[in-house]
Amino acid sequence: MNIKAVTSSFRQQGIQFLADPQWIIPSIIAPFMFTVVALYMYSGGGELDSPIVLTAVLGGGVLGMWGNMLFASGFTITYDRYNGTIEPIMMTPTHLIDVITGRSIWNALIGLLNAILVFIFAELIFGVGVSVSEPLFFFPMLALTLFSLASIGLMLSALFVLTRASFVVMTILEFPIYVFSGALFPISVLGKLEPISYILAPSWGVDAMKTAAVAGHESITAFGIYFDVAVMILLMVIYIAAAYILFGVIERNIRNSGTLVRY
Amino acid sequence: MTFVSERVRVIKASCILSIHDTFTTIRPSLWLLQIIVPSVFAMFFFYMIAGVANADQDFVVIGNAVQSIGMTTIYAVSGIPGVQKHIGTMTPLAISPSGLFSIFLGMSLFSIFAGFISIAVSLAFATFVFGVSMASVNLLSVLVVILLTAFSIGGISMMIGSIGIYMRTSAIIANVATYVGLVLCGVNFPVSVLPGWAQTIAYCHPLTYAVQATRDAVNGCTVTELASPIMMMIVLGMIFIILSYLAFRFFEKLSRKKGRMDVF
Repeated sequence: MNIKAVTSSFRQQGIQFLADPQWIIPSIIAPFMFTVVALYMYSGGGELDSPIVLTAVLGGGVLGMWGNMLFASGFTITYDRYNGTIEPIMMTPTHLIDVITGRSIWNALIGLLNAILVFIFAELIFGVGVSVSEPLFFFPMLALTLFSLASIGLMLSALFVLTRASFVVMTILEFPIYVFSGALFPISVLGKLEPISYILAPSWGVDAMKTAAVAGHESITAFGIYFDVAVMILLMVIYIAAAYILFGVIERNIRNSGTLVRY
Repeated sequence: MTFVSERVRVIKASCILSIHDTFTTIRPSLWLLQIIVPSVFAMFFFYMIAGVANADQDFVVIGNAVQSIGMTTIYAVSGIPGVQKHIGTMTPLAISPSGLFSIFLGMSLFSIFAGFISIAVSLAFATFVFGVSMASVNLLSVLVVILLTAFSIGGISMMIGSIGIYMRTSAIIANVATYVGLVLCGVNFPVSVLPGWAQTIAYCHPLTYAVQATRDAVNGCTVTELASPIMMMIVLGMIFIILSYLAFRFFEKLSRKKGRMDVF
């Protein structure tokens, strides 16, 4: 890995974000509205008990992180296509994945901000009194979950290099993670579809976060939070390895086919 | 007469061009997938929450089937000026004698039609995947309600899109409008549980009438029995189309004056 390229692209992504920060709004709106809907549905118009509120708010935060990661990963490549900068990037000796990794780390940090904003808005508007039972565990779990989402984003970026219809792909991929991560409802209710959640690192992250935050939360397995963390890290390593392989193959293919700048 | 036929010609040409544009960029199968997958997953997502919350799952599934138009039509239509700015065609369009409203109306028609398809396909999934009973459905009523939903939501989308002529983007406002509809319009829970001020906003939004009318049509109500929500959708749709025409003229003039046609 070319660390200099990673840090430079991280910095460049930061500068671009700060030049037009309004784009954080869409990735906050959707998860916040989903949280509001979930709160209304769980309450049935009446009072809410605190574990449900906490579950909904934490879930909303995870949705926020995913929304941000997905759209930021997709637009990263799309804008290079639009702006005509993807070919110069490909001509440099730096691998594309190093550039994308730097950008993904920045997007992950913004995703964290996104989640925190969802928590704050939920607190300010509903006065839900969110309190985390194990804060020492919770915040590392939040960060790990975020990086698990970032590793999926990195893998998907490879696909976004291939297609000029990245917006379509982003739209298609947004909801499946909302559903299978178990962010707003337990994955046990998915029935036959539950195994899909097991191959998604964020599902384990969400479980670990809820175990750390919500007293009496029923974990996916009986092995506890450390097992969740181990599986999450293992899956993240697999995603990152897959991203490296995919980027290598795709870079070679698009150089040969000359289809990179089609949009 | 010449003026009207000229406008119709511009609208038709813009519509045909936008269809060609869409399918040059993406394959029809992918386009259809883009409509179906988010709608089905959104239904599934809220269906599951409703299950855990012991809420009425049929209520939620039909609500989200109608709400799917938000993701299809509001985004696509309101994003048209932004796309034109991005690809550098806004200024050439603005200096043509056709007028931006007619051009963008033509470009919007296909996305409004896509909204119609989106609701129809989502209702089919509601039946075959989520088991919503269509035993007493009144098909004519459903058809009329979906058509009017597409028309009225198309009006709102055009109004939001007009902002994109002056501002850098209208995507953020479109995003807010889509998701506000999810909360306020009785998609997942009855409007009656909302605070009074939110209910007032809800009843100014055609989606509220569309969602309720669709549920009633699925339960067998005839077009005559749905006269009240149907009238409200027609009236609100007309109001939004007129407002969007005025907004297009206003933002076009403002944008020319301030030189913001190419700002994105």
